[in-house]
Amino acid sequence: MNLLWLIPAFPIAGFLFLALAGTRLSRRAVSIVGAGSVGLSALVSLWIAGQFFVSPPAGYAYTQTIWNWLDVGSLHLPIAFYLDPLSLIMTLVVTCVGFLIHVYSAGYMSEDEDISRFFAYMNLFVASMVTLLLASNLVLLLLGWEGVGLCSYLLIGFWYRDPANGYAGRKAFIVTRVGDTSMLIGLFLLYRHLGTLDIQTLMARAAHQWPVGSPLAVAAGLLLLGGAVGKSAQLPLQTWLPDAMAGPTPTSALIHAATMVTAGVYLIARMHVIYQLAPSAQFTVGVVGAATLTLAGFSALTQPDIKRALAYSTVSQIGYMFLALGVGAWSAAIFHFMTHAFFKALLFLGAGMIIESLHHEQNMFKMGGLRKELPVVFWTFLIAGCALAGVPLVTAGFYSKGLIVWQAEASSAGRWGFWLVAVFGVFLTSAYTFRIIFLTFFGEAKSHVHKRPGLAMTVPCIVLAVLSLVGGFVKTPEFLGNIHLFTDFLHHALPPVAVAHARAMSELASEGWVTLALIVGFAVAYFCYIERPEFTASLTRSALGNALHRFWKSDWGMDWLYDRLLVWPVMWFARVDAGDAVDSIYTGIARLCEWFYQGVRRTETGQIRWYAAAIAFGTLIFVAVVLFL
Amino acid sequence: MHPVDLIALLPLLILAATSIVVMLTIALHRSHRLASLLTLIGLICAFASLWVARTLTPTEASPLLEVDSYAVFFLGLVIAATFVVVILAYDYLEKQPVNREEFYVLLLVASLGAGVLIVSAHFVSFFLGLELLSVALYALNAYVFTRALPVEAGIKYLVLAAGSAAFLLLGMALVYARVGTMEFSQIGGLVSGGGHLLKDPLMLAGLALIVTGVGFKLAVVPFHMWTPDVYEGAPAPVTAYVATVSKGAMFALLVRFFYVTGASSLGPVFLVFSVIAIASMLVGNLLALLQSNVKRILAYSSIAHLGYLLVAFLAAGRWAVEAVAFYLVAYFITTLGAFGVVTVLSNGERDADSLADYQGLFWRRPALAGIFALMLFSLAGIPLTAGFVGKFLLVRAGASSALWNLVVILVVTSVIGLFYYLRVIVALFASPETAAPSPAPSPAVSASGASTLVVLSALLVWLGVDPAFMLQVIERAISSLKLL
Repeated sequence: MNLLWLIPAFPIAGFLFLALAGTRLSRRAVSIVGAGSVGLSALVSLWIAGQFFVSPPAGYAYTQTIWNWLDVGSLHLPIAFYLDPLSLIMTLVVTCVGFLIHVYSAGYMSEDEDISRFFAYMNLFVASMVTLLLASNLVLLLLGWEGVGLCSYLLIGFWYRDPANGYAGRKAFIVTRVGDTSMLIGLFLLYRHLGTLDIQTLMARAAHQWPVGSPLAVAAGLLLLGGAVGKSAQLPLQTWLPDAMAGPTPTSALIHAATMVTAGVYLIARMHVIYQLAPSAQFTVGVVGAATLTLAGFSALTQPDIKRALAYSTVSQIGYMFLALGVGAWSAAIFHFMTHAFFKALLFLGAGMIIESLHHEQNMFKMGGLRKELPVVFWTFLIAGCALAGVPLVTAGFYSKGLIVWQAEASSAGRWGFWLVAVFGVFLTSAYTFRIIFLTFFGEAKSHVHKRPGLAMTVPCIVLAVLSLVGGFVKTPEFLGNIHLFTDFLHHALPPVAVAHARAMSELASEGWVTLALIVGFAVAYFCYIERPEFTASLTRSALGNALHRFWKSDWGMDWLYDRLLVWPVMWFARVDAGDAVDSIYTGIARLCEWFYQGVRRTETGQIRWYAAAIAFGTLIFVAVVLFL
Repeated sequence: MHPVDLIALLPLLILAATSIVVMLTIALHRSHRLASLLTLIGLICAFASLWVARTLTPTEASPLLEVDSYAVFFLGLVIAATFVVVILAYDYLEKQPVNREEFYVLLLVASLGAGVLIVSAHFVSFFLGLELLSVALYALNAYVFTRALPVEAGIKYLVLAAGSAAFLLLGMALVYARVGTMEFSQIGGLVSGGGHLLKDPLMLAGLALIVTGVGFKLAVVPFHMWTPDVYEGAPAPVTAYVATVSKGAMFALLVRFFYVTGASSLGPVFLVFSVIAIASMLVGNLLALLQSNVKRILAYSSIAHLGYLLVAFLAAGRWAVEAVAFYLVAYFITTLGAFGVVTVLSNGERDADSLADYQGLFWRRPALAGIFALMLFSLAGIPLTAGFVGKFLLVRAGASSALWNLVVILVVTSVIGLFYYLRVIVALFASPETAAPSPAPSPAVSASGASTLVVLSALLVWLGVDPAFMLQVIERAISSLKLL
């Protein structure tokens, strides 16, 4: 277990090597270094996970201190990694899924001229993400947090020659920055009142010092939630994620679907004690999740662009995780994170292969009939789609989402409203998922396939497809084998959900409703896009339908609203103050210095008589000073 | 005089002997390589003999010379700086159309003068050291006499240095006339003993005239005007020498003389130094602002740096001496590095001193540009360089003596100074398209020159990151200074 430091060290080494020498390597070498470093990292985490299962450390937690980072007064910040079931599972998923996506990238990016830059960024991302997960204190966590933000920005704008991509990168960076600021204030608050930034000590002190419902805990919880919604693209800061699809598709799969965007979920789970002390903050988490999952679901239904549709689906699925966190179903949230990482990464990888084989066509209405042309893509995409919709029994998504839906009501912090929204969300998910599948793979072919994906791209997809199928069998409902390996393991780090048995509905009933919602969603999608596509077309042409369609497609007008509320006023002020009144003070100082310069330079005449006179004159004055003062 | 005292003077004796050996060698066999090699060996021996001398400290070798650990420290600094100048000068002289070997004789004599200044405890040795240094520098400044600028620099320096030496002599005479002794420690005893000396016009006027002599060598306002012309005109390695060894030795003497005699705490003298410090900081930085000649920029910047040093000098006390010593070390390294880059870029026709020569240097010579930028960062006092630690110590010394006016001016003028350092750095990294149309001199750099620059940069960063070791050395060195 003392190999822990190697998990971030390999990708960092890969990043440094590629950044310094990448342009001199062949494409093949770049791919080997880029994917290999993450592969080694994944092997180490698998090895450590094995050790952890076989002989768990005392208290199911292991801390490794690398060196002292800062030691000033009472502030003691080591570079230390903390491994417990929570960080272990997240690290495993990040490195393993990360490795598969790196392998896929080796194929996907093989013809890009900047492949070494791409892999350097990707390696830096994995290193930062793992640092975020393993950090034992909040400042190191913040370092990873900002590191993944930076990589996200760099990769969204990877093809920087198109200004739109740069714009999308900036948007992502600035919007998440809003959340980061809130999180930073939260950290200041925690340090101010609890005197430490070490996460475990912090939790212990919080539980000891703050009573339940303490306003400080609520404030800290809400401030951290601000950071989480920024990074995880939840309401009201979700607007950056769909635009972030401007980056290369493997980036979308790794950063903007499987890993980075779930950092907010991790943060809240990691800081769960704060939320247990602040029920109102926790309730807010649930409300944010519930609201996001529905709104994003509607938006996903209306996107013509396959990647944007998947992006909204990601926002919506993370909404489920937030909902789970909001009702105290910590393990369920992490469970859904894991399965989501499998199938959502796979969906994006599949989308990438489709886009590439169709000459960078992203509009689903120009696709169709790809089922026979790209069989591997079709089958893996179908499996991932079923997992996303939560097709019962055989897919991982069914188990993780079903658990959340049930606990949304059954948990002692659960509510009927949450459950209702969650079930409705299942309907939406099923509808938009099958809409995507029907539009791309069924119907008549509208575009010609000119390129088929190679092995480097298909093999990771097949592995992820298998995981999307079997990944759920680590935790099954009571009436289906009652396996609870996953939750038992996590309960060493996160408290188990408190089920309010008195009023709770049965798990079977909940799953029944979920399945019903799924079937309805499937039926709607089938009717609208296979059976009667012309009906859908007429629907969107009608006045009300058109307005609603446009409203949802534009993400409920959030961008429009933010433009009016924030961007325009700032731009207006920038225009008005283009001369910058305050700046004139500094310009004035500069002018003054210049003026003085012009004055004193006249003394440098180059004439020796003048120099000698100055010496004599200076001496005279000094003699006068000492004599008469 | 006891034979043991001769051992204490070994570093100076070796310097003197080396100059004679080199001179005789030239008479027998003219070889640039041999002359420079002998000089380097002599310098190494002199440096090594510091450890021998150190075991005997403190010893008053004669009433004129006092070898204490303070002197040993500065002797080491001067010898090391001379060593660097010799290495840099070798390649530089190779490109010049003049006899090269005598350069080293002059350089050794100058260093001997600087050494005498450092150990002097008496007006006689003070003046002797000063003149040894000055006379050698007249010739060194004009060494490349085939060009007009060096000759001009040499003559300007000659006239003004001789003139200011006259002021100094008169000052010494006035002080002697009043107190009847020329030994620093005895003057100190009289100053602290009798209150009447504090108001005595002869004494005060004498001190003011001594300030003129010292101020000229340090190039502080209003005795600074020669600096840019001489810096610009003199061959680059000589400029490096004038900027470091000559000023450093004089500052070491200034600290010793005024602290031992206690004269700097006299109200009027304190006032004079304060005026000089403030004027130097302001005028030096302002003059450099829009200069387009790199050697002149460095000249003006050196005026400002001496002003900063005077702040610590005025603060007095242990911290002040520590700050002065550390700052001088940092200043030596930085200045040698900066002029070292100028030296290696210069060719036989002219020195690389125009800002245009440095336009886009980074794209042609990344390593040299990086080193130059590092030196400029240190001069500007950016963290992680020795210059930052030095400036920090200066501010600490000033603040601990509550010299708020001086400290505030130090900080404000440092900000002004940042501008012209950054101007040069911006030029270094300017895109290659905007570089000067006529290709600037860009000769090959020898291994010795390159490694010297690398070592200087490494020292700079080391002192900036981990100054503890150097501070310890300084602490031990200055313990010998009898502070009032």
